[in-house]
Amino acid sequence: MDSKTQAGGRPRWETEVEILPIKSRLIDFEHPPAGTYLVTGRRAQRGYRFSKFCMSFMKPDVRAKWKDDAEGYMRDFGLSEYEKGLIREQNWIGMVRYGISPFMIFKLSAAFGVGQNRTGAAMRGESYEEFMKTRNVKDAS
Amino acid sequence: MARGRIIGGLGSPHAPSIGVAYNTGKHETPAWKPLFDGYWPMQRWLAAKQPDLIVIVANDHANSFFFDRYPTFAMSVAAEHEIADEGWGKWPLPPVPGHPDFAWQLAHSLVDQEFDMAVCQEFPLDHGCLTPLTCFFPPERRWSVPVIPIIVNVLQPPIPSAKRCYDLGRAIRRTVEAWPGKLDVVVVGTGGLSHQLGGERFGFNDTKWDNEFLDLVETDPERLARMTHQQFMEKGGAESVEEILWLVMRGALSPKVRRVHRNYYLPMVTGFAQVIFEDLGGEAGALEAA
Repeated sequence: MDSKTQAGGRPRWETEVEILPIKSRLIDFEHPPAGTYLVTGRRAQRGYRFSKFCMSFMKPDVRAKWKDDAEGYMRDFGLSEYEKGLIREQNWIGMVRYGISPFMIFKLSAAFGVGQNRTGAAMRGESYEEFMKTRNVKDAS
Repeated sequence: MARGRIIGGLGSPHAPSIGVAYNTGKHETPAWKPLFDGYWPMQRWLAAKQPDLIVIVANDHANSFFFDRYPTFAMSVAAEHEIADEGWGKWPLPPVPGHPDFAWQLAHSLVDQEFDMAVCQEFPLDHGCLTPLTCFFPPERRWSVPVIPIIVNVLQPPIPSAKRCYDLGRAIRRTVEAWPGKLDVVVVGTGGLSHQLGGERFGFNDTKWDNEFLDLVETDPERLARMTHQQFMEKGGAESVEEILWLVMRGALSPKVRRVHRNYYLPMVTGFAQVIFEDLGGEAGALEAA
């Protein structure tokens, strides 16, 4: 086991939600608002291949391929086991922490037939029904 | 001799659900009516003013660009803009006409003024531009005004400062006013007010701050231009950083403006606001480069 792996053989790189060591006068990366994950630096670098995967769903032939053989498409794209796990579990909050922009996630969630507000409810750890109770109007998302 | 001039600025949300609601005839339903009642005055205003050009400031949502090369500021010089397939099929809209002659001049003038734009000859539009443009015109007048899209990165920090965006607006104004010929220009700032779409903080809103923002963008935009992204995120949620797009619009207008329209509605996860500011002429806002 080298320094980049932890117990269970899972690479640390993939699971740490690291504090971004970036200094900026515009954003305090050490103290983002709680529950906020910015796509930059090491996190953006880590999420890049996965983001590219999400981006591929803009092509109709990819959407068809996904419907036909999702596992085969993930394998052919070269996603890691950890990344494939995030997708199989529809682990939207896991994806955000991993370094994926919400706008990338919505391309993928759409392929599962899951809308923006359902992914959001799940990110908050709520059921869709619980989340909707916190909203003003139910039919205008 | 006629010259270019800015005749006004519009503010509009750009959430895709709004464009879909209009295109599927849901705008009179109780859930959507309070929002669309905010678009009808904008349609009437545009029909009355008959601008020659719309400069629309939006952000990309990973449709026009990808993180393989992500521009901080980008603009289109294309004669025509395709509709992007965002991942669930294209909206059934015809391509949106551009204005290459003015766009090339704008590109040169902005770079001359040290705004180093990425200049694009292919620029598929996503909901960031298409939602407002769709709602600004009744279907039969679509697309009666050419459009120059300007894109500001808000997806992947580093994000340009609020002040930089305000100053970009001022540079756009100088370019318009130097144009030799009649060119009545409307500048559009797009985007939601408070909202957050990722993380456990998904669904964050603050109506009080949204209304304060609307007051400030009208009367004291330079105060907004001094805010950091951290402050925008804390007050309005991570995605409310796109309020800096409204500052490009406001920077392009006269220091004082005549507000002829303002509407606000928060149905679900995003504070939606619409404004019409009429230009009162004179110099652009005074905030100087530091």
